[in-house]
Amino acid sequence: MTILNLDFNLHYKSFDFAINQVLDLKGITGVFGHSGSGKSTLLRAIAGLEKNITGSIVLNEKTFIDTSQNLGVKPEQRNISLVFQDSRLFPHLTVRDNLKYAARRCVSSQLNLIDILRLTELDHLADANVTDLSSGQKQRVALARALLTEPKLLLLDEPLSALDQVSKTKLLGLIVKVQQQLNLPILYVSHSLDELQQVCDNLLILSQGKVINYGNIHHTIHQLNFLSARLPNEQLIHQQTSLSLPIASTDNGQGLMVLALAEQEILLPRLPGELTKHKHLRCFILASDISICLSESQNSTIVNHVSGTIKAIESSSLDESTHSVLVTVICSGQEFFVHISTYSQQKLALCINQQVYLQFKAGAVRTYLY
Amino acid sequence: MPSPDLLALAVTLKMAALTTVILLLIGTPLAWFLAKMTSRFKVIIEAIVALPLVLPPTVLGFYLLIAFSPQHLPGQMWQQVTGQQLAFSFSAIVTGSVLYSLPFVVQPLQKAFEQLGGSLLEAGAMLGAGPIDRFFTIVLPLTKSSFITAASLGFAHTVGEFGVILMIGGNIPGETRVLSIALFDHVEAFDYAKAHVLAISLLIGSMILLASVYLLNLPRLKTGKRAN
Repeated sequence: MTILNLDFNLHYKSFDFAINQVLDLKGITGVFGHSGSGKSTLLRAIAGLEKNITGSIVLNEKTFIDTSQNLGVKPEQRNISLVFQDSRLFPHLTVRDNLKYAARRCVSSQLNLIDILRLTELDHLADANVTDLSSGQKQRVALARALLTEPKLLLLDEPLSALDQVSKTKLLGLIVKVQQQLNLPILYVSHSLDELQQVCDNLLILSQGKVINYGNIHHTIHQLNFLSARLPNEQLIHQQTSLSLPIASTDNGQGLMVLALAEQEILLPRLPGELTKHKHLRCFILASDISICLSESQNSTIVNHVSGTIKAIESSSLDESTHSVLVTVICSGQEFFVHISTYSQQKLALCINQQVYLQFKAGAVRTYLY
Repeated sequence: MPSPDLLALAVTLKMAALTTVILLLIGTPLAWFLAKMTSRFKVIIEAIVALPLVLPPTVLGFYLLIAFSPQHLPGQMWQQVTGQQLAFSFSAIVTGSVLYSLPFVVQPLQKAFEQLGGSLLEAGAMLGAGPIDRFFTIVLPLTKSSFITAASLGFAHTVGEFGVILMIGGNIPGETRVLSIALFDHVEAFDYAKAHVLAISLLIGSMILLASVYLLNLPRLKTGKRAN
């Protein structure tokens, strides 16, 4: 178990950052926020790259910094690794020598360079010049290099932002694989909620240099639906239902994948073959992509009809003039969030505890994976 | 007994080599400090370093002559430590050369360090490399061409030095009589034949040195384009 205790603040001319939060780093913890929210600042502070910190950062029993005791551990002695957005490979070294740079300075050397090359699928590029690599390959080398320091905690700062969609999916899969095989706690910063939704176990939300939420990924995203409604100046996310469901069938014979929602089913377009190995699928449905029906529609092209009970109806925005509501519906124990107009709500006379059917197209069930 | 001109060549090379080594040793940390410095005093230090570029060498030589004399503190201290007079000695012309050629070493290095930036050094720290380790494994290999430029310019500029040495050297054969002074002596004695030999040798020697530097730095065009 890895506990990261953060209690510090930091001031710049136009930006203040303050955090007092204990993170239980199981699996991958996402850090989400818009630009200027302090995501990268948080990672850099943990890594020791930010000066001017007041307060303390403690990983398990090891104090990295405690300004009240005048204590500070240098970045190179923290045994933490950071994968930067821009790779930052050493241009004068080959791929192999970049990796050796890390391996040579690693104290424990449990990991073998060859194994890591294989794990990150870089075997064939070992002797390449790093300046000749694509952005996706560069990030894989950066990840491999970070792993070879055998860090207690791996920090990823927008690792996918410079990549194309195919490379993004590939690297994301690799990050999950690495996390599971090495059982390495990861703190993953991104401004893309979809990306984080796909891989994170927990999520920390930052806004304007402050933590506004922290917890289980799905739960936190669902809470954000309401926070987005209450913070009028900050459209944090698109209101959505975040799901992780067992795969009942990867192909029902008609090009659709079937997910099990207890005794009900959710259909979505079939995904590329590689994913069939997984037992669960992470996906999300935007609140604006779901509609509500009072009876199960039999003659519609819409494939998904899920029955449930209305749990709550809230205004979807502080601004009354938007004339819309966010309806929470419980279907087989799972919360769904539906965005409808007040006009529709009144027309159907929707109320709490009412039995309804949710309708959405197969294509509305989205996943970050390509 | 070698010819006086060969002796002057030996003194010149010894002076330039020693000056270059000293300049790299003090110029590197100074250039690093200036590259990282954000204080407003940076411009003052930069101006002091650059002064020899614009100042007539005789001005620098004049002040050094005064400072090196046994009547003044630097000269006095030198005499107490070494038992010898500083003015009109080999040590004096090396000291003068170091000050005179300082900008030729500091400026290319400072520029290289500024261009390198901090991002690769942060990456190095994240891989467990301390500051000294980072300097030798990241900074030095990536700024190698600037070090070659700095050392060559420092060396060549020192070889070509005249005014400062004339003021503080005293034209002592085997000690402070360098090629440029020897050339001047030949011209004054109307011995143009000997003057020609020295002049053309200095010209060709400098040409070869500069051409080699540019040749050595040529691959930079290919690999110097850094990713990120």
